[in-house]
Amino acid sequence: MATLSYRSAAKIAAREMHSSRGKFFFVILSVAIGVAALTGVRGFSSSFRSTLLNRARSIMAADLSARMFQQPTPDQQKALDEIAATGVEITPVTELLSMASSAKTLDPLLVSLKSVDPTKYPFYGQVELAPSAQLKTVLDANTVAVADDLLVRLNVKIGDQLKIGTQLFRIGSVVVNEPDRLSGNFAAGPRVLISRAGLDASGLLAPGSHAGQRYLFKVPPPTNGAPISDKAVADLKARLEKLLPEAQIIDYRETNPALTQGLDRATSLLSLMSLVALVLGAIGVAMAMRAHLQQRLDTIAIMKSLGARSGQIIKIYLLQTLLLGLAGGLLGVAFGVAVQLSFPHLLARLIHVDTELHLQLRTVITGLAAGVLTTLLFTLPPLLDIRGVRPILILRRAVEDNDDPFVTAAWRKITKNLAQVAAAILILAGLAAIATTLSDSLVVGEVFSFGLVAVLAVLLLASVAVLAGLRFFLSKTRLHLPSSLRHGLANLYRPGNPSAALLAALGLGVMQIMTVYLVQQAVVSELHVSAAPNLPNVFLIDITNEEVNGIRTLLKSQPSVTAPPELLPVVSSRIVDIDGVPANEAKLKNFPKRMLRSISLTWSAASPPGTKTVEGDWWSADEKRPVVAIEKRQADRLGVHVGSHITFAAQDTQFVATVVALTKSDGQHAYSRAEFILPQPALAGLPVVWYGGVHADPNHVGELQRALYNSYPTVTVINVAQALETVRAVVLQITYVIQFLAAFSIFAGIVILASSIAGTRYRRIREVVVLKTLGATRARIATVFSIEFAVLGLVAGAVGILFANIIARVLLTRLTVAYHFQWWWTLGALLGTAALTVATGWVASHRILGRKPLEVLREE
Amino acid sequence: MTYQTPMIAVKDLRKSIRNGPRTVDILKGLDFTVPKGQFAAIMGSSGSGKSTLLGLLAGLDTPSAGSVRLNGTEISYLPEDKLAQVRGKTIGFVFQSYQLIPTLTALENVLLPHELNDDTKENGLPRARDLLTSVGLGDRMDHYPVQLSGGEQQRVALARAFILRPPIVLADEPTGNLDTTNGAHVLELLLNLNRTEGTTLVLVTHDPLLASYANRRITLRDGLIIADEINPTPAETSREAALTEG
Repeated sequence: MATLSYRSAAKIAAREMHSSRGKFFFVILSVAIGVAALTGVRGFSSSFRSTLLNRARSIMAADLSARMFQQPTPDQQKALDEIAATGVEITPVTELLSMASSAKTLDPLLVSLKSVDPTKYPFYGQVELAPSAQLKTVLDANTVAVADDLLVRLNVKIGDQLKIGTQLFRIGSVVVNEPDRLSGNFAAGPRVLISRAGLDASGLLAPGSHAGQRYLFKVPPPTNGAPISDKAVADLKARLEKLLPEAQIIDYRETNPALTQGLDRATSLLSLMSLVALVLGAIGVAMAMRAHLQQRLDTIAIMKSLGARSGQIIKIYLLQTLLLGLAGGLLGVAFGVAVQLSFPHLLARLIHVDTELHLQLRTVITGLAAGVLTTLLFTLPPLLDIRGVRPILILRRAVEDNDDPFVTAAWRKITKNLAQVAAAILILAGLAAIATTLSDSLVVGEVFSFGLVAVLAVLLLASVAVLAGLRFFLSKTRLHLPSSLRHGLANLYRPGNPSAALLAALGLGVMQIMTVYLVQQAVVSELHVSAAPNLPNVFLIDITNEEVNGIRTLLKSQPSVTAPPELLPVVSSRIVDIDGVPANEAKLKNFPKRMLRSISLTWSAASPPGTKTVEGDWWSADEKRPVVAIEKRQADRLGVHVGSHITFAAQDTQFVATVVALTKSDGQHAYSRAEFILPQPALAGLPVVWYGGVHADPNHVGELQRALYNSYPTVTVINVAQALETVRAVVLQITYVIQFLAAFSIFAGIVILASSIAGTRYRRIREVVVLKTLGATRARIATVFSIEFAVLGLVAGAVGILFANIIARVLLTRLTVAYHFQWWWTLGALLGTAALTVATGWVASHRILGRKPLEVLREE
Repeated sequence: MTYQTPMIAVKDLRKSIRNGPRTVDILKGLDFTVPKGQFAAIMGSSGSGKSTLLGLLAGLDTPSAGSVRLNGTEISYLPEDKLAQVRGKTIGFVFQSYQLIPTLTALENVLLPHELNDDTKENGLPRARDLLTSVGLGDRMDHYPVQLSGGEQQRVALARAFILRPPIVLADEPTGNLDTTNGAHVLELLLNLNRTEGTTLVLVTHDPLLASYANRRITLRDGLIIADEINPTPAETSREAALTEG
């Protein structure tokens, strides 16, 4: 059998593309917009994510941290050295309380010493010093960097001598902010940063010292310039957990719950937006290719009459599709890269978010591949339709059997054409596969693929129902309706009208856009809560019972304090047994047994701010029984659950408390540091110290510190304003970028939908001409089309919005974000869809309306 | 003139189409044969079923009942691709509205059936060029259809119809879209080619003048053959004679 050579097929395909550049440009543009949205959104979000992850790393100053409660054993040290030999950088950070005194006055002051290796620490982020300098140039064996609090308290200045342990150190600089301030201990006393050599020389690290030790780890970055993968971090974490069973090992994503949540939600949302961009692009491609192949029916029929087999013609149009997909893909990638390159500048200018740009080849290739693949997938049904094009078309235009009701026609098409059914399955499977590959979030991938299939099925049913309903309605009311309305409604089910396809495309598009909007809105409003401006940023330590009311009054009078203080009572205690098992025999996970001898209890009548109960129930306000709520992670370490019994001892009192609730805190409130919360009566009469958190204007924290020092010199003030500002800034940036990208996705979606509607305009040319020949005015034709489009828009909008709400609800529940139905937005979106459909239909039909009937009839 | 093997054999050919709830019978049972080398004209007014008949003869459509045999091969119920093969190798087609592929040049249009159907690896270019030269388009081979006049486009279509030396050429109102001069020129070329290539020609027309050039006239009305006449002195002969004499 003769085969059309690829050369000839390509020649015909290319020639066709060349000859009607205008029409093909439109198809290419549709592909390009889809690919551009995908490449742009995906590329930028991947850059933004890696920027965010780097910020998150700087809050820990490392990829991983291991908090140790004792020095590593020789075997552990050997294993750590082996890890270091693989390229992982390791640096120890030692924190301990000590006394420091000015060489002049010799007044002692409790300080919180932190020893670091300034050549390595911090792996990420910067230690901010005043005057501005690099830590490694300031800190050596003979110098220290101190908090300005210490300068006030000891009445010293930079350059003065400070005695720590047995050694004198020169004050080299003032520490304004340490990147890992939030992940270290909040101990009493101002911060003193000291070098490793300095600490060794001070003689403070005697054997048996209770110094807290943290090891910071940095995973070597891949040699190809790609960001450090989460897997590499997870692998090292697993290795370290095995090696150091008593150490608490956390990775940079766990440093701050607000940040972790922000990151997870941002990842899910960005992933969702990439998928939406992909499917919207695919819709654009499908609609454009459908319209394109419809116009090629004559050429196809001619070729068939000249003896061309369907396979040969499919070959030509498959090649054309590939060329179109490739051209659109390349153009789209170029657009996408341009978008990606311009986003950081735009964001920096508009909302002051700096993003490091990583142009990734992978994103570009993915975009191109997804573009070509979706073009091919979505062109499959019209390509398979080529087999059904009958050559008789060139002799007799009227095609028989085309006037059947939609359901019968669809059913016949399905039964007659198993290949089409296979194509539909292939498209869905292909999209799900692409979605899974592109999705960085499994939840999003699953929900999205499921939603896509469900919405397509419902849209198909909806179009069947609507078209059947319309037909029924018209058959009953036909002559009572104004003719424009009758004609407009009848247009929806006329033979050859792409109503069903357009309905599916529009409905799918509206669903996607609305889902992005709803999820984005819910996530952003939750992120705003975690980036609320009034969260505590100054912590007060060691407030006595006698001081607490005075401090409350003082804080109230301070203009720099912008929110009521959160004060937390702390009772020192120890755990005697857990569920009858003595503490020294308890099976603990990443928690040393000796730490059970020093725990803090607190009380609260109601669930404190920033604390959520994740299991069990909080007690009522008049609870008298000894019950306890435990932080979830702590409960896991201790191996307790709701219903467990823990025996606590404080001074010489012992009592058994029942675990009634497990909690999770947002890490942003004073109570976030409480691990065991009981009702007040359970702790009545025990000695209490208070711990406070207050929000102060970050620029005036110094004044607050001085006022507190003057009245309550023994209370330690820890200023984390700078560090918290960093977290808040990152969370806010996440919200800005999410909003920006969502707006971009929605805009691109609207453009694609508009172009899909516009793509159907060629089909209406003939109808316009006939109507005009019969004397219809432009206004009348425009009315007929408006009615047709408005009904399409309303039906597609209703189904799309319904599904958007269902998908958003499922997604948000899985992301633990609250979902709220939004009446106004729903109504707005519905009317907006109808208005957009009508407006686009009008704009696209404008030129058709202006054409002279004879021009068109001559072309026939 | 004697005719031996029927090149086209039509038996009880019927075609109905559904139009909503109604079924319209377009052809109501036709029987005829066309011997090899004959030039038959199918005549009839609009709606008589002549284009439908031509479509069925060309295997462009499937009959509702009955059969069509081309050169002994039953084509009526062949699968689509087999039918395409038969069409490609057995039939040359000339349409009223030329039906050239607008994106291919005149030469490429003529060559297309060769590219689609020839499995001999023979280079079709020389023949395509010869045919185009023979229809007077030797200097317009690289022009696109849109750059050619109606008459020139129909001449390209003629060359295309003959490229694979088909035993049958079917023509649907080949001069219907042309003015008298161009129409006469195209007809003359068609008859010349038909004679030199020795093909069987079936021409559909409602124009009695055009039909007068045929050896045989089959007239349809309402889907039935109402007249089947042999024309012993086809007009073309006299015209050719006049041309020869001239």
